[in-house]
Amino acid sequence: MRILQTLGAALALFASIAAFGQDQAFTNRSTELKEKPDAAATTLATLPENTGVKVVSRAGAWTRIEAAGRTGFVRVFHLRFPATVEGGGSSSGGSNPLSAIGGFLTGQKSDDRAKLASTGVRGLSKEDVKNASPDEAALKSLQSYRADRAGAERFAKEAKLAAVKVPDPDASKGERR
Amino acid sequence: MKRAIAVLACVLCAAPAVAQLDVGRLIDYGRKAVDAGSKLKDANREFSQEDEVQLGDGIAATLLGASPLVKDANLQRYVNRVGRWVALHSDRPDLPWTFGVIETQTVNAFAMPGGTILVSRGLLRQLNSESELAGALAHEIAHVVKRHQLAAIQSSTNSEVWSSIGKDVAGEAISRRGGDAFGLKSRAAGLGIDAVKNGVFLRPLDRSMEYEADRLGVILATRAGYDPYGLPGVLQVLGTMRGDGTGLDIMATHPAPSDRLAELEKVMPAVEGYANQPRVEGRFRQVVSAK
Repeated sequence: MRILQTLGAALALFASIAAFGQDQAFTNRSTELKEKPDAAATTLATLPENTGVKVVSRAGAWTRIEAAGRTGFVRVFHLRFPATVEGGGSSSGGSNPLSAIGGFLTGQKSDDRAKLASTGVRGLSKEDVKNASPDEAALKSLQSYRADRAGAERFAKEAKLAAVKVPDPDASKGERR
Repeated sequence: MKRAIAVLACVLCAAPAVAQLDVGRLIDYGRKAVDAGSKLKDANREFSQEDEVQLGDGIAATLLGASPLVKDANLQRYVNRVGRWVALHSDRPDLPWTFGVIETQTVNAFAMPGGTILVSRGLLRQLNSESELAGALAHEIAHVVKRHQLAAIQSSTNSEVWSSIGKDVAGEAISRRGGDAFGLKSRAAGLGIDAVKNGVFLRPLDRSMEYEADRLGVILATRAGYDPYGLPGVLQVLGTMRGDGTGLDIMATHPAPSDRLAELEKVMPAVEGYANQPRVEGRFRQVVSAK
């Protein structure tokens, strides 16, 4: 029996590794695969912890995924993403596949991201920053782009962003240090 | 009861002996504690919002000396509007909030005391929507609102230097740094320049401060009407990245994204009801991705 369990665990691990790819994530706990992005929606399957899944898109609190041959939704916080991408300056300019997923689904061409990436500017080291001279002209330029309150409010309205009242959970607990 | 009285009597008897031995030292300790307390009060009183803004100006000018602004007025104005709109929902809505995108590909964002926030092009290119940008900016805004960087700089600055901020300009110290040439003349701005040059500003903050900024960041973005899952989305993307070896990327200066997500999950029930607020992808794509 124990041998079977071990074998099962080994197979699950193997399946995870085999499924590993650039748009891959794993469940970080046992979680339900839902038909719709809604806790009350039909449960298509229960995915055990460490199930390899393919990420398709995001929808607020939910991530659309493919797993075990089915497409459905799992909670955002029930997935973990393995580190697979070189960050920042030393990379060859390829963008993060996870961020490209959203781009793909919203019709954004990967070229668009590549354009943003192809500046040829290398990463910023601590020494670069420590040895820098203050650039007052750049500071003035930065400050010239400030938005005033009215401008920000107009901008929000254009995108139908409506302010809501949400209390700060830390404030109700008193000062947390 | 009798026993309690007896114990009390004993204590009262013993007390004068102890007092004879240590009273001088105790008074001394007490006096020092009061002095330290009032010094701190003085320092806080003298370190006005204007000083805080100038301190941030010194830091920002130095960072900009290392990594220039992206030359795209449309992008810079866009980031300022998103940031200001989110900041309007904080406890410090009327700081001179200033946002900018710097050229470096190193993935990070920097919050300066007084309300200046710089994000790298490298971070921006990882984002998919305005709600993710708002989430990232909201985390930085939360640092400013909670004065995290200010506290970190204060704790590593000589208290005499700190309490002298806001007093007369020490000309020789400024000219030594070349501050006159740049017009960043105040002592607070000079302290900001120093905080970058001696590496104090580049050190990671306490983990507890990062978690607090994540929690408040989600709340601020939600108040501003965005999908609360913007910041968690950014953290998931960052979770797939390895550091770039500069020591200055977000992976080197922050707790692991998986730890941040685990902490952040606790606050999400408070905003769950707002999960259908807009992500604003179209406008974001037009301004950020069309470059």
